[in-house]
Amino acid sequence: MQTVFNSLVLCIVGFPALAVFLLGLRSWFSDAWSERTTIVIVGSAFGMSVLACAITASWLLISGVSDVRVVVGTWFSAEHYAFEWIFIADHLSLPFATFSAALIGLVAAFSMRYLHREPGFARFYLLLALFGTAVEFVVLAGSLDLVFLGWELVGLTSALLIAFFHERRRPVEHGLRAFVTYRLCDIGLLAAIIALHYMVGSSHVAPNPNGPWDSFVVPETVGGATLVGLLILWASMGKAAQLPLSGWLPRAMEGPTPSSAVFYGALSIHLGPYLLLRAESIIGSSTWVAAAVVIVGGLTAIHATFVGRTQSDIKSALAYASMTQVGLIYVEIGLGFPHLALTHIVGHATIRTLQILRSPSLLHDHHHLEQAMGRQLPRTGGHLERLVPEPLQPWLYRVALERGGFDAWLKDWVVAPFLRLVSWVDRLDESWVNLITGTPAVTKARRHPGPDEAAP
Amino acid sequence: MTILFAILEVLVLVVAARVANRSESPPAARLRASYGMGMAGVVALGQVLWSAFNLPTPEWSVHWVAIENPHAWVPAFSLMTCVIGFTAVVLSPIRATRPKTFARILLLIAAALAFLVIRHPLGLAVVWATSAFIAWLELRDVRRMRKIERLFAIYQVPSVAAVTAGAVLLINGHLNAGLALVVAGVAIREAVIPLHSWFVPFVQHAPMGLVVAFFAPQLGVYAHLELIRAELPHQLGHVIAALGAATAVIAASLGVAQTNARRALAFLVMSQTGLVAFGLDTNSSVAQLGALLTWQVIGVATAGFAMTLASLEARRGDLSMQVPAGSFTRTPRMAVAFLFMGFASVGLPLTLGFVAEDLLVQGSVEEFPILGFALIVATALNGISVMRAFFTLFSGSSKHIGESDLTRRESGVLTVVMATLLLTGMFPGFTVRGLEQVTERQQRAPSISQTSGQAQHATPPTSPATGEWRRSRRGCRFGRRRARPRAPHQPGPARGLAPTSNS
Repeated sequence: MQTVFNSLVLCIVGFPALAVFLLGLRSWFSDAWSERTTIVIVGSAFGMSVLACAITASWLLISGVSDVRVVVGTWFSAEHYAFEWIFIADHLSLPFATFSAALIGLVAAFSMRYLHREPGFARFYLLLALFGTAVEFVVLAGSLDLVFLGWELVGLTSALLIAFFHERRRPVEHGLRAFVTYRLCDIGLLAAIIALHYMVGSSHVAPNPNGPWDSFVVPETVGGATLVGLLILWASMGKAAQLPLSGWLPRAMEGPTPSSAVFYGALSIHLGPYLLLRAESIIGSSTWVAAAVVIVGGLTAIHATFVGRTQSDIKSALAYASMTQVGLIYVEIGLGFPHLALTHIVGHATIRTLQILRSPSLLHDHHHLEQAMGRQLPRTGGHLERLVPEPLQPWLYRVALERGGFDAWLKDWVVAPFLRLVSWVDRLDESWVNLITGTPAVTKARRHPGPDEAAP
Repeated sequence: MTILFAILEVLVLVVAARVANRSESPPAARLRASYGMGMAGVVALGQVLWSAFNLPTPEWSVHWVAIENPHAWVPAFSLMTCVIGFTAVVLSPIRATRPKTFARILLLIAAALAFLVIRHPLGLAVVWATSAFIAWLELRDVRRMRKIERLFAIYQVPSVAAVTAGAVLLINGHLNAGLALVVAGVAIREAVIPLHSWFVPFVQHAPMGLVVAFFAPQLGVYAHLELIRAELPHQLGHVIAALGAATAVIAASLGVAQTNARRALAFLVMSQTGLVAFGLDTNSSVAQLGALLTWQVIGVATAGFAMTLASLEARRGDLSMQVPAGSFTRTPRMAVAFLFMGFASVGLPLTLGFVAEDLLVQGSVEEFPILGFALIVATALNGISVMRAFFTLFSGSSKHIGESDLTRRESGVLTVVMATLLLTGMFPGFTVRGLEQVTERQQRAPSISQTSGQAQHATPPTSPATGEWRRSRRGCRFGRRRARPRAPHQPGPARGLAPTSNS
């Protein structure tokens, strides 16, 4: 019986991975499959994944077992270090894995018409399948090492889908911006893995009798737990678009609507809070980390709710709405309400996906609603005008319109100085080369990109 | 038997070089060079199978060059070198590569293969000088590369002189002076900051196939292993590790801001080489294992990455990265190959690069926590460089000049490279196990003082006879460092992606 459920857990990841393998091989060696075949492959893969999740979840409920732990084996090892593939299906991972697979399957079905005859149809579905596989990896991972594996792939697919309409410059620049944010935050995740290995000997998810679900082993010292917790928080902030790293999210809406829905409404953006939920034991053992989570989430929620109200396009408005809710989820996690946070994630992901999928039809829906009501829709947000003093409102509006000025601050105080320093070193090197080879220096205009052109 | 195979590989390549040189046109030269490289690859594959199945080996060694038993990983690394060479030859654009260039690519690969089996310092120095000379000849032949030729000579002549003088001193027992010179020579060749200034212009202007054949096999890493690693004092090892980490971070930072694709590639490669230098000089065998794997990943993935770039350049001309101005639609397979190999070289999950990077970082943190963090930063920045290169070269515009996607030839080679990286990454057990066993075996070998009866930090016997050098070197193996207590050997856990109950 155990073997059956172990196999089911592996199927949750295995079927999407198989879809990636089939689509990838076909695209590389030959022309892509027809749209219908592609849909069938991807839809079936995630359908089977949902079925496996459902059966496993049912068995957990009926049998009263807290988790299914599947040890696949050691991928590689050397001396004291071993990278093991361990998957865990428990009260945290199974709901997330289920609705992830379900949403991706639904989006795949939705996209059949939305992207019909789109030149990048096959590419979209390949990336979607790869993303789904990576998400299941992250969610079901039984160690932080394995989380990292899926985490990297999520970032890669996210950036590639933001730049889906690659013939325009803006989507490409925004895709790169998102990737840079992810990559810089991934430093925190890798550092946390190493810190855990160093302090407690492994990064495995271990039974946590005092917590709601299995979690990472907590370092013995408060300092160690704080360090690991802060690193994990930093890692989560990139994917979850928390302040001050939120600038990529509204720009990410350049991608196709279905990918925007499933990435930034549902799954990718919630991987940050998911990571925090999985690290619940570490957050709970350090007041500093819990406070940091609350502060980051609270500030993000406040920032996003004001900025979202100044957006003039629906997808940006929804992006900020997502950011607000994720900020609130952070607050719930930091205050120690993990079940509330998990419920909030599932509910928010579902409704936001629906909203983003419907966003191209916003005006149409608006008219329908007004016709049904027989009058204009009431204005919303009036409570904020009552709360904020009138002299402050113009200033607040201007700040919100500039998205808090964080993007400009990052560009002026982080990116530009870095690029200037790097350019100076490069010019120094070139001067040295010219000196020792006896060639005159050639002045080139704008040898190096300015902050607007290079990595954001 | 390894020696026989190596001699055969070198002979095949030398003959093929001569044939390619006499070709009437670049396409003919490329075809002949490809066949030659392919035959050498078959020999290398035979070597791997011979050692894998433990077929009978005649015991002999050539005394006059003191070729003692090569390392057990030489067959596998020779095969990887042949893959690098094959990639460099087959993907070299004929517009930018003359028959003589193809010949020199083959000779450089031959030198690299010879380098792997030689263990005598003077032998290594001779091959070191030969490979630098071959590359310099190519630069000298092309008028527009006069500046690069001069720059190359300014750096490589001291490198060759330092390695040769260092080798002589090592043989004659002057350990410290010899080590210092060899370290300096290797650092120049491996473009360790601040001795790197020749490298970026070299990558930027030289034929890419030549660049790959000269640099990708990473002779400096092998020289480091064979001549430096075991004899390096603890403190100096830390300094070199720090320099390696600094090179990794600084080069990664410089690479992120480049506007020329070749320059960005140069800094990416420099950064990865810095990681290897760092890993080799830690005391952790986990990090050393990671460094060895990174060495191979740099070679194979970077070769594929660089040659894909060369293929794109042949189609489009100079590649600027100022603004995104490429078209993915025209060259989808090329774009995918570029992205895959770029990320494989910086640790894409499920590739060998990920395994290497993971071992490197995990193994180094205990000894160098801050430098270990620097490695993580370097890897992150390198990933950004790769993505930026991909976006700027393959997207951002609907305009194109009608460039074609990968040809069947190019596609075939890149498929082999990508499959190698993916399969060795998904199933790394064999590779890691083999390298680890070699490392453990070397660590159990007697030390210099135990074999020669001298003080622990004494120099080897001063007799210049190569036989004496060989005897005194018996304890100087990869993995040992002077004046450092050795922890008792611990058997590792189960290996390979298999249930943990199986060994």
